[in-house]
Amino acid sequence: MSRHAIAAWLALPARWYLGGLFVLASLHKIAVPHDFAIDVATYGILPLALVNPVAIVLPWVELVAGLMLLLGARVRAAALLVAAMVAVFLAALVIALARGLDMSCGCFASQGAESDPISWLTVVRDLAWLGLSVLVLCCDRGFLGFDGYQKWKGAHA
Amino acid sequence: MSLIEPTPPSAPAASAPAASALVPAGASPAGPAWRRTFAEAAVIAASAGLVALAVNAFRPAGLPLVAPEPYEVLVPCPEPGGPVAPVEPSDSSLRGPRVFLVDARDPGAYRRGHVPGAVNVPYDWLDPLPQAALHELARRIAASGATRVVVYGDGGRPDSGEHLGREISGRGIRNVGYVRGGAPALVPGGAS
Repeated sequence: MSRHAIAAWLALPARWYLGGLFVLASLHKIAVPHDFAIDVATYGILPLALVNPVAIVLPWVELVAGLMLLLGARVRAAALLVAAMVAVFLAALVIALARGLDMSCGCFASQGAESDPISWLTVVRDLAWLGLSVLVLCCDRGFLGFDGYQKWKGAHA
Repeated sequence: MSLIEPTPPSAPAASAPAASALVPAGASPAGPAWRRTFAEAAVIAASAGLVALAVNAFRPAGLPLVAPEPYEVLVPCPEPGGPVAPVEPSDSSLRGPRVFLVDARDPGAYRRGHVPGAVNVPYDWLDPLPQAALHELARRIAASGATRVVVYGDGGRPDSGEHLGREISGRGIRNVGYVRGGAPALVPGGAS
């Protein structure tokens, strides 16, 4: 098996993992947008006028990108979106940590700073997610997904 | 489901699906394929955003597009804190010459009774120890020749002695401990 084929097969579980993760992460934020708006405001990076639009739109982008990764549809575009979102989260985390804020990550359900505090471990975790999304972006060939089915159909038409 | 119109056949990199399957992903000629990926990502994000705004507009729990007033954000202030070791009140080394004792209680409690030789540095729950007071404390510790600093407080929960110990430890004073149980465990009538 070639190196590219191995990377493509490794990208498959990474794709499913990231897809499930982003769907899971979006659910509470969509259900309780007010909580997520407070999380966004707590980072103290965005001006007030942008807090609510981000709190409304971002979870849906997470949901759609996550579902597309799970289904294997437009995988590269979805992985690019996930990588971009993780990169933005990373930047926000580093800024918050540099300011010494003792706060909740806001990555999943809003749990409060005591049970879900940000730390440099959170940064390491997000870096791992960024690496996985780049793996999917560069190596996924659409196995067991809609993209792969389209390719197969095109090849056998 | 096609979000983007397919690239014309003359464009080499975004060619037919069968051809792209033969080229390792990410190793194909970069330009058009990446442009297409970026364009698709933008369309997906814009579509999700429109759905989000539509759902938000019609749901009871929806947010106003612009928050009318700033959110009340409660973030605990970062507290500098260093390591402190608990010391039992019965520890005989507490009375030794190599230990510098600090009483973290308020001056009234200190006047009513304190361990002989203990220096009063009242712990303020709201404000950090002023820099001048910290320097004075460090100077007195150095002058005493002590190798260990032990703080005792009111013995409450939380204990002012433990907190002052953490604070001065985090601000550069080394080898700091606190008396478990605080003044009530050390000083007769210290609970007052």
